[in-house]
Amino acid sequence: MLDKVSNLKNVIKTNISQDDVIFIGGFGHLIPFYLTHELIRQKKNNVTICRSGADILFDQLIAANIVRKVIFGYIGNPSVGLSHAFNRAYKSKTIEIEEWTNYSMILRLHAARMGISFIPSKILQIGDIPDNIGPLKEILCPYTGASYSAIPSLKPDVALIHAQYADKYGNIQMWGVDGDTIEGAFASEKVIVSVEKIIDNKQIKENPERTVIPAHRVTAVVELPWGAYPSYVSGFYSRDDQHYIDYDVISRDEDKLTEYINHWINGIDDIEVYKSRIGYEKIRQLEAGLCGKL
Amino acid sequence: MVQDYRKLSASKRIALIAASELKGYTSCFVGIGIPSDAACLAKLTVERNLNLIYESGVIGTLPLSKSYSTGSPSIANNADMITDSLAVFSELQACRIDVGLLSAAQIDKYGNLNSTTIGSYEDPKIRMVGSGGAHDIASLIPNLIILMPHDPRRFTENVDFITSPGSGIELMEQRRKYDLGKGPSILITDRAKFIMSDQGWCLDSVLSGFTHEEAVEDLCWDLKQTEKEDITIDESVLKSLHKLDY
Repeated sequence: MLDKVSNLKNVIKTNISQDDVIFIGGFGHLIPFYLTHELIRQKKNNVTICRSGADILFDQLIAANIVRKVIFGYIGNPSVGLSHAFNRAYKSKTIEIEEWTNYSMILRLHAARMGISFIPSKILQIGDIPDNIGPLKEILCPYTGASYSAIPSLKPDVALIHAQYADKYGNIQMWGVDGDTIEGAFASEKVIVSVEKIIDNKQIKENPERTVIPAHRVTAVVELPWGAYPSYVSGFYSRDDQHYIDYDVISRDEDKLTEYINHWINGIDDIEVYKSRIGYEKIRQLEAGLCGKL
Repeated sequence: MVQDYRKLSASKRIALIAASELKGYTSCFVGIGIPSDAACLAKLTVERNLNLIYESGVIGTLPLSKSYSTGSPSIANNADMITDSLAVFSELQACRIDVGLLSAAQIDKYGNLNSTTIGSYEDPKIRMVGSGGAHDIASLIPNLIILMPHDPRRFTENVDFITSPGSGIELMEQRRKYDLGKGPSILITDRAKFIMSDQGWCLDSVLSGFTHEEAVEDLCWDLKQTEKEDITIDESVLKSLHKLDY
């Protein structure tokens, strides 16, 4: 089997092109912050980013001016407020959008995963969203005559996801909340995964039911402990809710947000520096509030 | 004992009234915020058989601390099952989930909800978060209850953008045609309960301690008044309210 373990700089440099459509995993849980920040550090401009429910990681990518288009079902700072950089870019028309709903985004990824070009659904037939989605068409069931919206597949070039474990061959083990992360990974051409820990293939085989993506579907693996901070990883560390609350205040102001991006993204070239920015006191707290069992 | 509900926050009064409406249901599609508080309160008191379902794929949970995201640790930690979002949304589409709770930035007289833009879609005053799962729930769920604080700016004749479709004659025709849920049937504010009719919302009953005038104060809709008894809250529900203090 091929050894898929690589370093972050190389992985992003060799696997992502400008103009790529990139699926970004994580549904509250397992958001690949550090892995995705590398797009900003390497100035991978003009990318399209997509997922169902997008939180502050999308806002950061938009603030860093590397995003041409965002395809989403929700974009905000959950329970805290709006996505302010997105808001500014939307109003100044410096970003393209394609706006769906969470279920329709998941169905789009599911269709790509299944290798088909659309999935029929009852949603998106009434209200104002359908009129604002260009490619949406209606289809009649050939058996019953029932009318459905034909939700087109969405096949990203690359998926960036974070998980608990991988072995060096790229077998990915994940548990806890998945949302649409696995769906998005299987929908994509390439799958790049950061993990909390690289473990032996022998340990993978002890719990093969925890493997959610098999080695042959994975392009590269990078070990990035704390790479999902400020989101959380079941079995490792809890969510830093305060970071999200602070981000709401910071991101309202463009200058403050630039400072934030320099502090948390551009000024960091190693995951150990990221951890030192989090601070060891906070790390202890978040580990103590850990959720889920190993 | 006569309770002075005015001492409670608006969101707590909504949760109190809404919890009672969930009696008899066994599964509830829940969003974060007041909907989640109301569903938790119902689960703790009037309807212990209620299974809370979150769009992140979490089923059978009762959060014990504050949750910011539907995928938050507090949602996941106390769950009976964690599946994926495709599974729970598909249960929703297959009409396997009884009731849903939604809130939004704006609501109109037919229960259309807006969480997309204030102002026009192209040139908005405020660009909001978009649908998330709200459109999907409002389209598909068999029974829909809407929860809104009594903030007249948010109650409009017509919402600026229909993110989550409501009721009304035209929409009901489309709902039947496409085999969708029957749309919102109940609206709960921190002062009253409203029910949907062919002419839009009707005032059904008022929270004890509030007047009819207060229940409709500054609302732009022409609302029919009813003579029903005031809403009183079951003692057990009131006693459990502090459990939402996280």
